[in-house]
Amino acid sequence: MVKPVSRREFLNLLAAAGGAGAVVKAGAALGIMPAEAAASTLDLAAGNGRSAVILGGGISGLATAYELGKAGWDCTVLEASHRCGGRIFTVRHGTLIDELGNRQYCEFDDEPHMYFNAGAARIPNTHRTLLGYCKKLGVELEIFINENKTCWVQDDAMLGGKPVRNIEYTTHLRGFVAEMMAKAMHETDMDEPFTEEEAGTLLGMIRSFGDLSEDDVYRGSLNAGFDSGGFLNQGAQKDIIAFRDLLKTPFAMRLLSTNEGETGPILLQPRGGMDQITEGFLRQVGDRVSYRAMVASIQVRDDGVEVAYDQDGARRQIRADYCFNCIPTHLVTGLDHNFPADYVRALKHVLRGEAYKAAFQAKERFWEKQDIYGGISWMNNRSQQIWYPVAGIHRRKGVILAAYDYGGGMYHTRMTQQERVEAHLADGEKVHANYRDLVEKPATVGWHRMNHMLGCSARWRRSFREGWTGETEQHYRTLQAPVNGRHYMIGDQISMRSAWMESALLSAHWAMADLDRRLRNAPA
Amino acid sequence: MIRLALICLLCIPSLASAAEREPFDDRYCTTCHGTDGRGNEGVQAPRLAGMEPWYLKRQLENYRDGIRGAHPDDIEGLAMQPMASGLTDESIQDIIEWVGGWNYVPAEHTISGDLDAGRTLYQPCATCHGADAEGNEALGAPALAGQNDWYMVTQLRNFLAGYRGVHPQDVYGAQMRAMTTGLNGENDINNVVAYINSLSD
Ligand SMILES: Cc1cc2nc3c(=O)[nH]c(=O)nc-3n(C[C@H](O)[C@H](O)[C@H](O)COP(=O)(O)OP(=O)(O)OC[C@H]3O[C@@H](n4cnc5c(N)ncnc54)[C@H](O)[C@@H]3O)c2cc1C
Repeated sequence: MVKPVSRREFLNLLAAAGGAGAVVKAGAALGIMPAEAAASTLDLAAGNGRSAVILGGGISGLATAYELGKAGWDCTVLEASHRCGGRIFTVRHGTLIDELGNRQYCEFDDEPHMYFNAGAARIPNTHRTLLGYCKKLGVELEIFINENKTCWVQDDAMLGGKPVRNIEYTTHLRGFVAEMMAKAMHETDMDEPFTEEEAGTLLGMIRSFGDLSEDDVYRGSLNAGFDSGGFLNQGAQKDIIAFRDLLKTPFAMRLLSTNEGETGPILLQPRGGMDQITEGFLRQVGDRVSYRAMVASIQVRDDGVEVAYDQDGARRQIRADYCFNCIPTHLVTGLDHNFPADYVRALKHVLRGEAYKAAFQAKERFWEKQDIYGGISWMNNRSQQIWYPVAGIHRRKGVILAAYDYGGGMYHTRMTQQERVEAHLADGEKVHANYRDLVEKPATVGWHRMNHMLGCSARWRRSFREGWTGETEQHYRTLQAPVNGRHYMIGDQISMRSAWMESALLSAHWAMADLDRRLRNAPA
Repeated sequence: MIRLALICLLCIPSLASAAEREPFDDRYCTTCHGTDGRGNEGVQAPRLAGMEPWYLKRQLENYRDGIRGAHPDDIEGLAMQPMASGLTDESIQDIIEWVGGWNYVPAEHTISGDLDAGRTLYQPCATCHGADAEGNEALGAPALAGQNDWYMVTQLRNFLAGYRGVHPQDVYGAQMRAMTTGLNGENDINNVVAYINSLSD
């Protein structure tokens, strides 16, 4: 008879099996350790006529203008581009895509559901600060569908390149894996540390995970979808795809986890495009923004910050008590400034990401004829993903994402527009026959070449494996701290989790709270 | 600037709605090359301020015509090439005038090395680029003094590796490539660049 495990022992067991992360999460679930903090909110002291100049109209800059403005500060936002939002970029009818060397005007039909979020596209339900702003600013949200198992999985190396439904692929994968796990449980003393009851539950979990037969063998599953029938007639099960065939594609290593972590449910998006968030802020602080105002010089003084910027062919000056700066670090290094040496070293440490996205207008919503409503098809080729829109279900046309390369975007970025489009057509037609005839009006965005951005997201870590080294964290703390108490770098670049709007907001909140604390503590 | 914006608008495929469209122009060099073209190490874009108009013109034309920046391993050149591919003769002229108006700030030194070794290595370079690395228009050799040292290192590497100066129409590049064969590895490159740095101290 196995002795029951205590709650503490159970945690230790998990730690042995899954590393410390498992303990932290399970601990929170059992109510031992504190859960994450609530949405970050600010309670700033009255501005008393103080002024701030905000460099860059990214979401962190706009949130700073909004918060300080509410507290009575005099704020000015200098934005180099013709638009605010930076990496929040919704492309729709007539939008200028200011990619240097490949400028485009978007030719999509002029309809509210015909848009493409070329930058940020997903809001995880745990990004409370961002969601809080959406609520406050009246930004209407809808559910974003990331994982849709009716979408396709395609790999030239699997089944002669024939696309299969994600649900088929993953159901079989789970079945075979569960069969192995069940066998292992019978054959070894895997159930040793558990009571009989717990071992029974575990085996039951494995069986239902893989939809195994009574004898713990996987013989296919109706979860993979019916071959025929199912409503008025008996449903016929689809043939199994051999385990070997499933293993022909690296998707075996990825597809069971696309719906986990930060891209797990529930995800949200603003109705009508991510730039509705920018618009929400601009409804509050739009009159504080100066466009096509490109910062050229930042001089931090003892009593304030002097900023020079180019606008309408002239160099202009502005002086403010404090400065908040969300200009990408790799562009700040090219400005005239008087920052201290360690600050400059830290600025130079940060590398830039290379993301690339493309979209097509579809002449008809061909995916809906295949029962697909939202979600992602995965292709093991350079275009990688096709996203189907939630917006405009059952209308005639829609905009689909035709390629998304987050890590190695230079492959497409280095192509001409014609080459990019041809590459996406050739990749996409492996999933959707007639793709070529069904789509038109491409829009492509190589973030490495977008004017005033020249990158996707800050890369602090030199290698994924190495993670955050002490040296890297030192640079990070250097950039987080203000220069002379007057100049704060902000944005998701000043966080340990770049590439999220939430991080950009939290970084701005950190800077404002830090300044507020110092002002409150200062001798009157 | 306004004239240029209009020229660009005329190149847009659909003219009918051009009037309501967001305008753009070809004066975007400072996004990469920094304030007044001072050079930006953050994106590996070199100093343009103070660059000789004839040299700037030649390079912009070479980039535009695919004579420079076409080699698949010339990473920085590949970044620049599409920036120039759409430029007209007029916009190149406009850029040269624009660059000519910038304040020249000598580049910050980021590299050190053995100056004596560098001086010896520099002797053949001096024939074209001048004893003070001041450049020589008649020979088509640009000034080196005051240029970003990290940029010179990249270019020397590129010449040596055959990433630059191999296009059949790149006559000056081929000359330069032949000259770099006297450099033996990273140490030599560092030392000669450190010496060039010392000329603008
Ligand atoms: C492809 C892609 C996908 C993403 N997906 C998601 C997602 O799904 N969910 C999510 O939450 N986040 C996502 N992100 C990240 C998110 O977009 C960013 O974290 C956030 O928008 C960054 O905001 P920011 O305030 O740091 O400023 P940025 O957006 O970086 O804005 C910087 C601003 O500075 C301006 N600027 C630059 N130079 C100058 C100058 N010299 N003078 C004045 N202004 C200047 C720029 O024009 C720009 O407006 C994605 C990003 C990309 C690129």
